[in-house]
Parts: sequence; structure tokens; C-alpha cells
Amino acid sequence: MAAPRSCALWSYCGRGWSWAMRGCQLLGLRSSWPGAPLSARLLSQEKRATETHFGFETVSEEEKGGKVYQVFESVAKKYDVMNDMMSLGIHRVWKDLLLWKMRPLPGTQLLDVAGGTGLAWVLGDAEELPFDDDKFDIYTIAFGIRNVTHIDQALQEAHRVLKPGGRFLCLEFSQVNNPLISRLYDLYSFQVIPVLGEVIAGDWKSYQYLVESIRRFPSQEEFKEMIEDAGFHKVTYESLTSGIVAIHSGFKL
Amino acid sequence: MATLLLPVLRRLRGLPGLPRPAAEMPLRARSDGAGPLYSHHIPTSPLQKALLAAGSAAMALYNPYRHDMVAVLGETTGHRTLKVLRDRMRRDPEGAQILQERPRISTSTLDLGKLQSLPEGSLGREYLRFLDVNRVSPDTRAPTRFVDDEELAYVIQRYREVHDMLHTLLGMPTNILGEIVVKWFEAVQTGLPMCILGALFGPIQLGAQSLQVLVSELIPWAVQNGRTAPCVLNLYYERRWEQSLRALREELGITAPPMHIQGLA
Repeated sequence: MAAPRSCALWSYCGRGWSWAMRGCQLLGLRSSWPGAPLSARLLSQEKRATETHFGFETVSEEEKGGKVYQVFESVAKKYDVMNDMMSLGIHRVWKDLLLWKMRPLPGTQLLDVAGGTGLAWVLGDAEELPFDDDKFDIYTIAFGIRNVTHIDQALQEAHRVLKPGGRFLCLEFSQVNNPLISRLYDLYSFQVIPVLGEVIAGDWKSYQYLVESIRRFPSQEEFKEMIEDAGFHKVTYESLTSGIVAIHSGFKL
Repeated sequence: MATLLLPVLRRLRGLPGLPRPAAEMPLRARSDGAGPLYSHHIPTSPLQKALLAAGSAAMALYNPYRHDMVAVLGETTGHRTLKVLRDRMRRDPEGAQILQERPRISTSTLDLGKLQSLPEGSLGREYLRFLDVNRVSPDTRAPTRFVDDEELAYVIQRYREVHDMLHTLLGMPTNILGEIVVKWFEAVQTGLPMCILGALFGPIQLGAQSLQVLVSELIPWAVQNGRTAPCVLNLYYERRWEQSLRALREELGITAPPMHIQGLA
């Protein structure tokens, strides 16, 4: 399948980024049409392989990649504006915190997957990266892994392309740990966000998908286990803003 | 053996595909518990409708090119009025037929070749001329999404698709002045909040000279005609293509516009 226009999935901002980047070799990866054939992994996964979720809908796995692609094709133009409006700019704070954690130095080989409106980039598939083994010092993915059809494959690929000693960092929406905040968050997510999407971007459905896909993503602990299963060690996570997002970290030894 | 199984078990538990208990999942907003009632329908809660109405009104004022916002405003504020319109259609024989048969006006349902061949001065021919001169197409009407009743969704769709017909009947071009005049006519005819808001706020963007002409001549003319004409949604336009436009105007009591406004605004 011909590589279509790439989808914008992340925006970089924050003063911290620009000074850290001087001297770093940064490669951003934007998702292409996920056409990677399923290779034999765990038997249990193959058995349940045919159906998956797309927000609250059920779709076939072949469909999901295409549907996610359409969502991001649709939101790309207003991506940064919408992120600012929906999170009241807080997404920039989260991304800054991610950068603080990673503390990149001059010379660090950094791969940012689902890079969005970022810097120099390569087109690829998170489930089958176009890079050799043991290449990068740091692999980051911010608000991207939630949309991958086979998250475990993306994690395994992350493990493969990292050098020994390399670090995996993921910033993603997670589970809110406070019941009151959770209710307010749900109310805001389901009542306000699709309306914002319609009014600002003329696109209700993509933003409905967004808030639903967040609910479908595993909890902090579950995701930690998935990262461990991919072979990472010293896996930890830090919840931010009462667990609306979390940063997971792991090391390849 | 157990150590081999452990990651398998953990993976099964952790797979995001596993559904969580229903109580934890907020459902998509349902009005009266039903799902979508027609294709493109997006059920919305009262809160969402209120937010949509406010947001779309603000956006439409801020960016007048967002015609989709005007449509959303109409859908989220028109429920009560649409019921009244629907009942009016039911009571009229021609209107009732329209509700029954649900004709649609689009390039796929219109036989443009046939309209082209109709005599000058006929509704069909003049409608086609209107589309050509103003370079518009009947296909730019977005489908209804936020009306929670499928018959009412058709009524508002019909109102939208008939809009160009009203331009033709009133002899109004699609420039800003022409649109405002048609909005005043529609506001009087339908009572839809969106038409009333459009009629009141549309003139904000006009210059003094156009405003003067609008207020002194065009609005009174539009209001007068809107009052005397029977409900324009009760006209089965698709069956009247051959009817002479002049005869139709007489039938509806629509008088000639006070002036030719192509050059203004």
C-alpha cells in the first residue's frame, strides 16, 4: 500500500525543548498506514485477533488502522489549536514534564514516535519500525500508543530499536485515581469535548473517538505489565493531574 | 512451566480489548435511551445541545463562512418549531404528500437536462438559471445530525433544500443582502430561531447604505410577503417545474421586489 500523507499526532512546545534539542539527534516517526502483517506471536493473541475496539465501537483489526488514520487525517489541520482548547494548554505542561524526565544531552539518539507537528521526520509504522536493532538511546511516544492496533507489537519494536541501557518513555492518557475528579473528567470528556470538536473543527466524531479511546486504554498498572512483557526492566510510572495522564518508563538491559 | 505461563496470563488480563463492567463506561449520550434514529444522527444530551447552540452561534458570528455552524444552530434550537411546521405540513394535502414521499433536492435527484429544456419563465428553468448565475449547487446542504426525531430531521432537511427555491421565488441573489432578505422571509414563514437570529444579526456586517435600503424597503417587503404567502414547505416543487414562475408567485401572493439588488452590498 502506498504511503499516504502522514498523520499529525503530537505537537511540541515549551522552552525546555529548544535548549535541550541543540546537539541531540532527534528523529520523529509519523505513523504510516499500518499494513504490517501479523507474525506469529502469542497464540492467545492470535485467537482473539480478528476483532478489536475503536473507541466504544467494535471493529475488525484490519479496519482499525484505517479508521484511526481517517481520524488523524481529519484532525490534523486543527490539531494544535484543539489540544490547547481541550486541555486549556495543560498538554504543554505534560510534555514539558516528559522532557524533564528524559533530560536529553547533546549526542543523545532520540526516537519520538507519533511525532505529530514536530521536527525532522521519517514515515513509518510503530508496529514495524524502519530502523535497525539497538539504535536509539531514548524512545518516546506521547499520546500515540493508545491508537496503535497492536500495542504489544509497538512495545516490542520499541525494545528492539533501543540500545542496551536505552530508555523507553511513554506519555499517555490513563486512569483517574480520584472518584470526584473522575466524574468531573467524564462529564467534561463526554459532554464538552465533542462539542468543542464540532464547533472549532467541524468534526464531532473524531473527538468522540478520542474520549472513548482514552477509556479503552489500560490502567497504569496494566500498562506497566505490558511494558514488562515486552522485555523492559525497572518499569515505573508517574501519574500526572490526578491520573488523567501518566508517564511510563522502562529500560532495556 | 508456571513461569512460562505467567506472562501469558498477565497479557490476557492486561489486553485493552477486555471490556470493563458496564457501570464503569459512560455511554454515548442517548436521548430517550435510543441509539441513532437515522443515518448521520448523533444523539445528544440537553447539555450538549445547549453547548452546541451557544458555541455554534458564537462561531457563526465570528466566522460567517462557517455555514455548518448555522446549520448546527438551526438543529439544536429548532425542535419545538419543527414540530409546529411538521403539523402544518400534515394538515395540508400537498404538505402531507411531501412528508409521506420525502422528496430530496440534489443533483442526483434532479433531472437537470429536463429542467434545462423547460420553457423560459417556468419554475424549473428559472431555478436552474438561479443556480447557474449564482454558481451554487443544491448539494451543499449538509445532512441533519442533531435533531432527535427522524421525521423532524426530514422537515429541517426539506427547509434547507427549499432555500434555493425561495431565492428563485423572491428573485433574490446569493450575496449578503439577498441572503438577509430571504432570512427575513423565512423567519416570518417558519419561526425557526435560527432564521430569526440570522435575520437580526446578519445586517451587522452591512455598510450604512445597504442597511438603509434593507430597513426601509427590503425587510418590509420580505415580511409582508412572508405573512401573506401560505407555508412554503407545503409546496411540492418537484411537481411544479413546468408551472410558470409568475403564476406561482401570484398563487402565493409574492409581489415583485422593490428594487433590483444585484449591484448592492
